[in-house]
Amino acid sequence: MLDVALVSLIQDMSEKAGVEGTIQYWLRVGENLARRMGKEAYMGWPSFNVALREGRTAFSIEGDVTALTDLAITDVDGDVVGYIYALRECVFNPTITRIRYSVGEVPEADRLVAEEYNNSIRDTAVCNFCVIHQKFRDEVAKNITVAGQQLESYQLADRGFTGETKIDRPNLKKIGVNEEYVRSLLRNYACVYAIIMHGARLKGEEEES
Amino acid sequence: MRKKDLVKDNPLVDVAAYLFLEDIADKQGAAGMNTYLMSLAAALARSMPEEEYESWEDFVEALKNGDSALSTFEEVGMPTKHCVVTVESPFLRGWQEYTKRIGNFASIHYEVADYYNSTVKPGAIDSQDIIIQTYRAEMAKRITVEGNQLRVAHIATVAPDGTKKVAPDEWLPILLEKAGISQTMLNMIMRNNASVWIVYTE
Repeated sequence: MLDVALVSLIQDMSEKAGVEGTIQYWLRVGENLARRMGKEAYMGWPSFNVALREGRTAFSIEGDVTALTDLAITDVDGDVVGYIYALRECVFNPTITRIRYSVGEVPEADRLVAEEYNNSIRDTAVCNFCVIHQKFRDEVAKNITVAGQQLESYQLADRGFTGETKIDRPNLKKIGVNEEYVRSLLRNYACVYAIIMHGARLKGEEEES
Repeated sequence: MRKKDLVKDNPLVDVAAYLFLEDIADKQGAAGMNTYLMSLAAALARSMPEEEYESWEDFVEALKNGDSALSTFEEVGMPTKHCVVTVESPFLRGWQEYTKRIGNFASIHYEVADYYNSTVKPGAIDSQDIIIQTYRAEMAKRITVEGNQLRVAHIATVAPDGTKKVAPDEWLPILLEKAGISQTMLNMIMRNNASVWIVYTE
């Protein structure tokens, strides 16, 4: 119920504080949520991926996340520095469904907040909640170490309730993954992202520089 | 759409919402948070379509089946014609996820309930009660039964940790009479339900 109530407030909040104000609020919520979860440390990628599968990491609050272990990300030396992860269902979809069958329709502010985020921050949001969710992931990654290395989250692709997709091409280029491959992942998953060791020398980045 | 899917919480969104409310409380204190919670619930009720029922029996049927906006977010039962029990708090999953992932429910959620109890109505244990009780009261204003406006009153609430809050002693006999239950029955109902409330028309 709280989620539906919150969405009914977005319209009001966006009219009073502007969609930029709502975005600032949501970014702070995502940051606070990650901070309150605390820090985590793992011996290596296998232990992190097992923890993720068993729902023990801060990321697990998202729901059913799959570590695509066939998609290891390597650095310029060929060492594994990260993996691609995929979320089965968008965390906001159940809320949208509940709004549809209780209130009737999602307020327009949902789309306006997502559009403003795409124009002013990064072009990866399919709904207003992407603002909280993506910020949450960015911050959670900073609180986790694998083999002593801090992590970093790269948003790759997501699919909205109505089928709209967003693909972050610059991030795909950095990790050297084909866009069409990630697009095919969206047939079965709602959100795809990479978790990488912070500061890793990625092939795509080296080529750019 | 299955009713149980509609009632089901969304942990990440709910936990984020709790933190959003705590952020507001950091800036505006318990009074500001209380205002926000009440407007949140009132805004939700206002966004719902109005309802009218030709008879009390029609309304009771809609309420029990979850067809009324009054029971959209909670699974309810009716031990009598006017007494309603909510089996499980609509916030339970979000609260459980919060306590599992973050820790103790922040003290501001209880402080704001103290503020609500002393300034609005004495019936809340935590911030969640303010939302649901305000929502029910505001939603009732949008419902008519046999041409009369529906009214709601709260008898008791039980928090996820078992803490109970019952209406003040001076109100209780009147509320129990309207509900058509005895004090002993109330205690029995509270054992395995999250809240007890009444619906009636003048």
